Amino acid sequence: MQRAQKALFSAARKGAADMLPLSLAVLPWGILFGSLAVQRGFTWIEAQLFSGIVFGGAVQIVTVELMADNASLFTVLFSAFVISSRHFLYGLALRERLSPRPLRWRLGLGFLLTDELFALSGDRRAYRNRFRLYYGLGAGGSFYLAWNLWTFIGIVAGTSLPDLTELGLDFAIAATFIALVMPGIKTLASFAAAVVAGIASVAFTLWEFDLSLVCAALLAMCVGFTIQKIRGQS
Amino acid sequence: MNILTIFLLACVTFGTRYLFLEGRLPLRLGSNVKQLLRYSGPSVLVAICTPIIFVHDHRLDTSLSNPYFWGAAAAILVGYKAAFNIYWSVGAGILVFIVASYQF
Repeated sequence: MQRAQKALFSAARKGAADMLPLSLAVLPWGILFGSLAVQRGFTWIEAQLFSGIVFGGAVQIVTVELMADNASLFTVLFSAFVISSRHFLYGLALRERLSPRPLRWRLGLGFLLTDELFALSGDRRAYRNRFRLYYGLGAGGSFYLAWNLWTFIGIVAGTSLPDLTELGLDFAIAATFIALVMPGIKTLASFAAAVVAGIASVAFTLWEFDLSLVCAALLAMCVGFTIQKIRGQS
Repeated sequence: MNILTIFLLACVTFGTRYLFLEGRLPLRLGSNVKQLLRYSGPSVLVAICTPIIFVHDHRLDTSLSNPYFWGAAAAILVGYKAAFNIYWSVGAGILVFIVASYQF
């Protein structure tokens, strides 16, 4: 292998390694989705297709239930849209860095842009050069493969596996996100944003508000921005 | 019919992800919006974390027997001590979480 290729490959591998805790953390949800879909009367091809092309944990689990309950097409698509609305925020945040990139990168990384990939896109240099693009591809691509593998296991295992979502593997998501957030909290403004996001998100979640994540994040961003303006930081 | 719905769902998730990555979309982000978006990363991540830590079975859990709380505290503490090394922080958090889960 040529040296340049080798370097790109190792960037992708680094991305996959950084994603690993998150890929493992969603195992219970992937299995839950696969077995749920089969139990609710979907064929295994349909179940796998969900993870293969829809590729969104919460969207899949909610819509598979709605479809099984014969909800109208509008209800199904609208619920998916509400849950997916947070992606607009991710796209906006990465627009400056990704929109000048070639179409195949935009399509590929756009397709892979989950919460987890966005979490690994916080570095200011993210997606700025080829290595950073391959890093994102390794991270997002490995997460895609893991999610589809967990779904497949759920489809095959069906009800023979116990519910693993009570195991606490979701803590790995929390721990990873905490570790990723901390280095970025250097100013009063970013600290305030984090505190507001945390409190608002818990409150909105307890109220079972569908847009809890997006609204908590938007509120927190406004607080951070306002404090930054008041303190005159640029 | 199911297959068609699944394809439409894929259009929804991909559409929301891709829309703002398209350069030809006539939208220029002003400097204020860019500064606002700088807070999007931390805000979104914290907003995903805290319900995992504090909301269980639709109820608020702020008790000291909540292993998620101890794990998160350990991840934050070790993160500061280990100069924000992600692996140390995640490792310590998970370790404390597992121990706390057995304790309580």
